[in-house]
Amino acid sequence: MTRQRFIFLSLAPALTVLGLLAAISTAGAVWFSVMNRALRSPDYEYVGFYNYLRLLRDKRFFNALEISLIWELITVTGTLAVAILLAVLVHETVKRPLWRNLICFAFLAPVLLPRVAAAFIWRFLYSPSLGLANWFADLFGIGPIEFLADPSIALVSVAVVDIWQWGLFFTVILVKLLETLPRDPIEAAMLDNARVWEIHAYVTLPMLKGPLISLVLVKAVESLRSFDLIFVMTGGGPGTATETLDLYAYQTGINLGGRVSYASAMSILLLIATTLAFTLIWRAGRKWSR
Amino acid sequence: MKMKRLLAGGVCIALLPLAAAAQDTAQCKGQLASLSVIGQGMPAVTALDAHLAEFNAKWDTEVKITLLGENERRAKARLDASTGAGAYQVLYIDEANLAEYVSAGWVHPLADVVPAEYDLADFRVDLANVASSGGVLYFAPFVGGGDVMMVRKDLLEAKGLGVPKTLDEMVAAIKATHDPDNKVYGWAARGQRGSGMNVWRWTPFFRAMGGEWLDGETPIFNSEAAVKATELYIDLMKSAPPGVGTFNWSDSVEAFRGGQVAVLIESDVFGPWMEDPAKSQVAGKVAYAPPPEPLPSAGWAHGWAVSSVGAKDDCAKVIAGDFVGWATSKEMEQQRLAAGIASDIGRVSTLQSEAYRKSVPQEYIDAVLATGSRTNLLIMASPAWPEIGDTLGLALEELFTGTRDDVQGALDEAVFAAEDALSRVK
Repeated sequence: MTRQRFIFLSLAPALTVLGLLAAISTAGAVWFSVMNRALRSPDYEYVGFYNYLRLLRDKRFFNALEISLIWELITVTGTLAVAILLAVLVHETVKRPLWRNLICFAFLAPVLLPRVAAAFIWRFLYSPSLGLANWFADLFGIGPIEFLADPSIALVSVAVVDIWQWGLFFTVILVKLLETLPRDPIEAAMLDNARVWEIHAYVTLPMLKGPLISLVLVKAVESLRSFDLIFVMTGGGPGTATETLDLYAYQTGINLGGRVSYASAMSILLLIATTLAFTLIWRAGRKWSR
Repeated sequence: MKMKRLLAGGVCIALLPLAAAAQDTAQCKGQLASLSVIGQGMPAVTALDAHLAEFNAKWDTEVKITLLGENERRAKARLDASTGAGAYQVLYIDEANLAEYVSAGWVHPLADVVPAEYDLADFRVDLANVASSGGVLYFAPFVGGGDVMMVRKDLLEAKGLGVPKTLDEMVAAIKATHDPDNKVYGWAARGQRGSGMNVWRWTPFFRAMGGEWLDGETPIFNSEAAVKATELYIDLMKSAPPGVGTFNWSDSVEAFRGGQVAVLIESDVFGPWMEDPAKSQVAGKVAYAPPPEPLPSAGWAHGWAVSSVGAKDDCAKVIAGDFVGWATSKEMEQQRLAAGIASDIGRVSTLQSEAYRKSVPQEYIDAVLATGSRTNLLIMASPAWPEIGDTLGLALEELFTGTRDDVQGALDEAVFAAEDALSRVK
């Protein structure tokens, strides 16, 4: 058996299952999106593009689209910024391998926590009357701060939890990547009297361009799946201040009116938008990493 | 002698159908590997854990209760029934979705599936009315009732005030006791969106101002009465703990129980919660009274129904029906009382029992009885209500949290969406 044939036969079963699952669910969503199926009644009929056209007039849909975009931007940039800063800090200040490993182990803990558990813990921490966050704020004479009830800061407050989980996890990855870099370019920069931040800004981080782009893509995909975190912490509120597209689709299709077809149309549009966006980002990333 | 034999024979023949029925149901033992039940974490549900082994042994089955939050269990039950999945034989339903379930034919009439020995006529009339549609009882209510006003006697007395009897007096008491610097707030209420959340608590204000849901088939809850009610509700929220705009009932009750709030109108089942010294900082300090005039009391009931989708075959129906009867029986309520749970009472016989009278303050019983005549189903009785209520809830949450401030505009949008929802029901 040739090597190529072996690879093909090994991958074929898993790819077939994955392909079938994706094809059936996508075809089902497309089918429902051109019907007027609601959970209340078993009867439904073909309505063409009505659901898609209605979406184009739905202010709440566009609000959800905007919130999803802001959520992606905040969580991806926040996670990467926290990870890079902490990784450099740990790399520069903690030299003993034992301490470094202990810190990495501690940084792994948040991401091991189930999202729903993390959401409940932070919901309690954010409580205006009983939470630790407001107790600290009180010490400085500010507050009480309504972290989850104030529409202007609710989305950022939830994003902090996401960044807390993933930023620390990515820190561990970056610390380990920094340890694997060749010493020569760094020592050359040191001989040129480059300062620490200059060494990282102009030498180590550009050397990690490829892995950093991969981390951005992983986080961007992961951020699209933050339904559980937002659902538990705010349910999309206050008002629609934290209502992302997946939450709106859930509220419409399952929770609110059981309008499965309308929610399916929303999901199809989300699928098309994310596929396009990620294809463009992927191509741009590949060009940039060369 | 011959007469006696004839009589005995006659009795035997008369009892034959009953014996046959008993044999039929007995044949179901071991026929259902597990009985799946949707539940919500009310004390009456969680207390069942201690007794499930008894039911499991009776039918040689395993009862599996899935506990969910209010919104989630509504979504789960509807999804299970409407898609025909039928994974649950027993559904937990309430006043907000009964009309939808009955019109869709998702639940069996209770009398058809629950054995007569469980005495369905003993359910409290106020709860049974909410659990019925067209005079037919569809779910066995084990918790429900109306509203009660709970006030901190000590805080009101310190301001020289008595228990408010009118809405104006209540507003004055809330303003007088509000002292945020000392972490005491005049009022707490539900702000979180949802037909069973903020809309539920807002509705008595809406009704008290003369508000109506529909004019014929046209939704009119954007009327002047609705605006006035919303403005008053928002004004009272200024005297509430921080974050009240997204409070659910649990947040409100816990804020009161934690000693932070002076006045609270909530469902009467929460009254006994205040008197548990292990969990409440206000035990013995609370006065109970009917909601101040002209606020009506929002009638509600939660209970279990047998799913016509999940319990299709005869044995599933028999076992599910027996579970609903057993779990909501007089005996079960007495066992809960003996375990110190006095909050979930669905039966008249329990209310009249000595054990109940011993477990709650007389003032609370008086308040509940005095409220009874003012308790009604205040929400819109329509299969479209869950959608309409949730849309209205979103508009209210936006107003309560300051996301928007045009009360009339927010209500107009909710009415616009309701027109669409109602037309789809037709």
